[in-house]
Amino acid sequence: MADRVTRTQEQEASPLEALRRADEDLRLPAVTPPAAYPIDTLVPQVRQQTPAVGQRATRSDGRLHGLGQTKYIDDLSFPGMLYARIKRAGIASARIKRIDTSAAEAMPGVMAVLTGREIPVNSFGATFQDQPLLADERVFHAGDGVAAVAAVTEQIAVDALDKIKVEYEPLPAVFDPLKALQDDAHQVHAPNSNIYASKTIRKGDVDKGFAEADRIFEGRFRTQMVEHVSLEPHAAIADWDPNGRLTVWSTLGRITLGRADLARTLKLPMNRIRMIGTIVGGNFGGKNEITQEPVLALLSRKTGRPVKGVFTRGEEFLCTTTRHPFIMDYKTGVTRDGRILARKVRLVLDGGAYCSFSETTIGKACILASGPYRIENLLVEAFAVYTNKTVAGAMRGFGAPQVCFAYESQMDDIAAALGMDPLDIRLLSAFDEGSTSPTGQVLQSVVVKQSLLKAAERFGWKEQVQ
Amino acid sequence: MKRRGRGIGCMWYPVGYTVTANPSAAVVKMNEDGTATVLTGTVETGQGSLTVLGQIAAEELGIATDDVYVVSADTDTTPADMGAIASRTTYVTGNAIRLAAGRAKAILFEVAAPLLRVKPDQLEARDRKIQVKGFPQRCLAIGEVANRAQVDMGQPAIGAASWNPPTVALDPETGQGKPFATYVYATQIAEVDVDDETGEVEILRIVAAHDCGTAINPMLVEGQVEGGISMGIGFALHEQILFDDAGRQINPNLTNYIVPTSLDMPEIEVDIVESFDPTGPFGAKGVGEPTSVPTAAAILNAIHNAVGVRITSLPATPDKVLAAIQAKRGRATPRIPAA
Repeated sequence: MADRVTRTQEQEASPLEALRRADEDLRLPAVTPPAAYPIDTLVPQVRQQTPAVGQRATRSDGRLHGLGQTKYIDDLSFPGMLYARIKRAGIASARIKRIDTSAAEAMPGVMAVLTGREIPVNSFGATFQDQPLLADERVFHAGDGVAAVAAVTEQIAVDALDKIKVEYEPLPAVFDPLKALQDDAHQVHAPNSNIYASKTIRKGDVDKGFAEADRIFEGRFRTQMVEHVSLEPHAAIADWDPNGRLTVWSTLGRITLGRADLARTLKLPMNRIRMIGTIVGGNFGGKNEITQEPVLALLSRKTGRPVKGVFTRGEEFLCTTTRHPFIMDYKTGVTRDGRILARKVRLVLDGGAYCSFSETTIGKACILASGPYRIENLLVEAFAVYTNKTVAGAMRGFGAPQVCFAYESQMDDIAAALGMDPLDIRLLSAFDEGSTSPTGQVLQSVVVKQSLLKAAERFGWKEQVQ
Repeated sequence: MKRRGRGIGCMWYPVGYTVTANPSAAVVKMNEDGTATVLTGTVETGQGSLTVLGQIAAEELGIATDDVYVVSADTDTTPADMGAIASRTTYVTGNAIRLAAGRAKAILFEVAAPLLRVKPDQLEARDRKIQVKGFPQRCLAIGEVANRAQVDMGQPAIGAASWNPPTVALDPETGQGKPFATYVYATQIAEVDVDDETGEVEILRIVAAHDCGTAINPMLVEGQVEGGISMGIGFALHEQILFDDAGRQINPNLTNYIVPTSLDMPEIEVDIVESFDPTGPFGAKGVGEPTSVPTAAAILNAIHNAVGVRITSLPATPDKVLAAIQAKRGRATPRIPAA
């Protein structure tokens, strides 16, 4: 009935008015209607059965997740809590000449402002500690933070960021990883080379393998930079107790290492730090490193109040890690019947402005680069290079999705050129139990062929007429 | 016209850190009523790891999933753990929890042995009971044993342990060594329709056969596979951070950076490949990251199969696919010179 009335009104109203009303209808109510979700302790039978392994046991937190009642960090609040925001450089390469925070500090509601110089040890990183928490002298990519504000509301904190004046001296920059490899390229972290990690895997004799091959296939493959896009952004709350002990609630997926990083950057004994991992709304490798936690801790210490920081979606893209873009050159020598005699791979990883998890990514990418196939003659070389772009770090697969795209694309090119079925050419070279990996490791519990056959059977690969 | 194609993506993937030590520690406490509490430093990041870790503890103690409560992610109360990374939680943290539960169980056996008039090594924990192997009728309820251990014997059944995957450092020159303790394997096959007039790719179906060693919880394995495929689809077709000439991102938002939604998801069929790894807890390895590794490869091979063009750079956006189709047609059509 109510529906019908609205429609009649819409028909009578001007088109602009109708649009406005439709827009109004889409808005969520300012106050959500009250709803009670009693804790339901009903336990499904599958969770009560023994033996436990192999059971399709449901998650005990599943019901409240489904009802949208799970409390993430953004849902938590403490008395007197402040909200922190970080000012981002917005310029890819520059020297910071001056940071003037006085206007921001004078704003009513702003409780504290923090710059990089105030952080006891202003660096962190999984392998090399080359990343500042807040840039103090140099900006290496546009997402670098340069100052942080804690205010009584989030809006005041946002407004205060505009009042912080930073004077930059723009510097040369490099964005293309292949250009960054050249001798005359701008050195991102001068005087160090732009190549900050490299790895080689050598097995057999590739030149001999190529000489014996009937056909040689060459190709260059490239992948793009992507974000993890966790539904929940990076978030944390820091608070100090009267004993001088710091508690940090964080979305971090690795609290043991997070506490170590906090101890290092804040110069605090580890027993004075408690890190609590909250319910996390997605990680995928993006929440493996600290981001704003030490900054929040220092703002909290300055103000004596709990301080919360939640990244915006924009910050998720600009200021957190991403997946490494790869440039992959594959050269593969095969026999007429489809056996792989030799493979040479060269990988260039665009690491962005800081090292982060590049060391791990380059290692896994090299080891996995030849695919799950028996190849006696192999040479894999990889280089991770700095560019003045968003930092590439850990992301689901550590280089494996990139190299898998390359080696499997080339596998199909080889199959097509030799007139072979893509399934058969893979079965011909796939690892067996006891096969030797590119690093000379004898592999156990190997089921590549089983997975190929099982997927093919389920798909109906052989039945389908091509 | 829409053209159909199919493509295979096959992969292998390691479990745990590359060479570097990545231990997990755990504490398992048997309560007086036969339930157990597990302390672990890992963090549940949505994948269901705490449920799986609880199932591992329950299996070792012979109790049910719901009899175990897992306390996690607090540096004050839970022991060291290198965290939810590198697909290591089930394998590494799982092994630590299994060892810790085994130590708590050994105390239960010591207490139960004289009561059942056998030696501790003749006992097993099953179906919430401590029973004599081969004589399941000679048994005591696990809660009774746990209560006696604490109240009568003054020895609460608590076990603590840690585990680190064994590795051998890689030779810096040749890269030879044992970087990981174990690997998993998987194949995904994609079926796609490619519109050769627009370059648009529609994924119809993905079949995924994944090895994870023993599937501690097959439902959560399937969940991981489905989630991994959705990320793989984004990587293959949609997602890309773009930069302007000054190195600033131009699409840092979900309006212009396109991630797949539930409406973009194809039919997914998941198969778990049977395997058993003797080094994992009850034969388990892991499944987290590998699920999104072969998806892009399978989709790109399916595009190649459908329209005969090889897209060599991701993502395979419609403009890229269309340009490749047109370039191929251009090559195939002999050009007639203008007058």
